[in-house]
Amino acid sequence: MTDVVSSPLTILGDSAAAVCDGDFCAIPDHHEAAIVNRRVDADEI
Amino acid sequence: MSDAIKVDIWSDVQCPWCYIGKRKFEAAVATFDGDVEVEYHSFELAPDTPVDFDGTPKDYLAQRKGVSPAQADEMLDRVTGIASSVGLDYDYDHVHQTNTIKAHELLHYARSQGRQLDMKERLLKAYFVDGRHVGRIEDLADLAAEIGLDRSEVVEVLTDERYLADVKADVAQAEAYGINGVPFFVFDEKYGVSGAQDPATFANVLEQVQNERESVK
Repeated sequence: MTDVVSSPLTILGDSAAAVCDGDFCAIPDHHEAAIVNRRVDADEI
Repeated sequence: MSDAIKVDIWSDVQCPWCYIGKRKFEAAVATFDGDVEVEYHSFELAPDTPVDFDGTPKDYLAQRKGVSPAQADEMLDRVTGIASSVGLDYDYDHVHQTNTIKAHELLHYARSQGRQLDMKERLLKAYFVDGRHVGRIEDLADLAAEIGLDRSEVVEVLTDERYLADVKADVAQAEAYGINGVPFFVFDEKYGVSGAQDPATFANVLEQVQNERESVK
C-alpha cells in the first residue's frame, strides 16, 4: 500500500471494543464483567 | 490477483490491546475456511516518548496521565488478567516504556524480507512478556537476528532510517481512514473493525467478505 486510499470504510463490530487511543489504553466495562466471570468460574471470588 | 482476503492491521508495539487483539484475530483466522493475507502497518501511540524513558509503564501513567500509583497498578493488573485469558503472560514489572519508531521501521524492513509476521510477534512478546527493550537499534537488531534476519543489515537500515518514509506513509493512511486508536483492522480496503474484538466478530467479517466476493462471481 503505497498510495493513500481515501475511500471511507464501513465500520463493523462492537464499537466498544478495547483500543489504545493516543497514549491511553482504556479498559471497557464489558471486559470488567468478563474478568469477574472468569474469577467466579475459577472460584477466586 | 490472489484470492486471499487482505487484512491490513494498524498497530503499535507497546499497545496491550494490539497483542490481545492479535490473538483474537488469529483465533478467528484459524476457524476460517479461506486464505487470509495479513499486513501490519505502523501507528505510534506516543511518538513523543523518549527512547530511554526512565521508568516503568506505571511511572509513565503517573507522569503523563496523572494516574496514582495505586490506580496504575490496578489498571495494569486488569490488563494483565485479560491478556492471560488469551494465553499471554504480560510482565509489566519488567516492561521498558520507549519510543517505537525504530521498531516500526524494523517491521517494514522485515516485510521486505518476507518476515513481517514473525517480526511483529517477536517484538510484541519482547515488549510485553520478555522485558526486552524495543526502542534501541542494537536491541532491535538482536531481536531481528533471533528470527533469522541479518543483524548487521538491520543496524544499517535502522541507522540510515531507510524505512522511515514507509512508517510515515502508514501514519498518513491511518489519518485518511480516520483511525484514532489501535488495533484497527481493514478488510479488503472496505470494512474497518476497531479494537480487540471477540474472535467471532472477526470471523463474521471474514465470512461477509468471502460471501460478497462469491456473490459477484
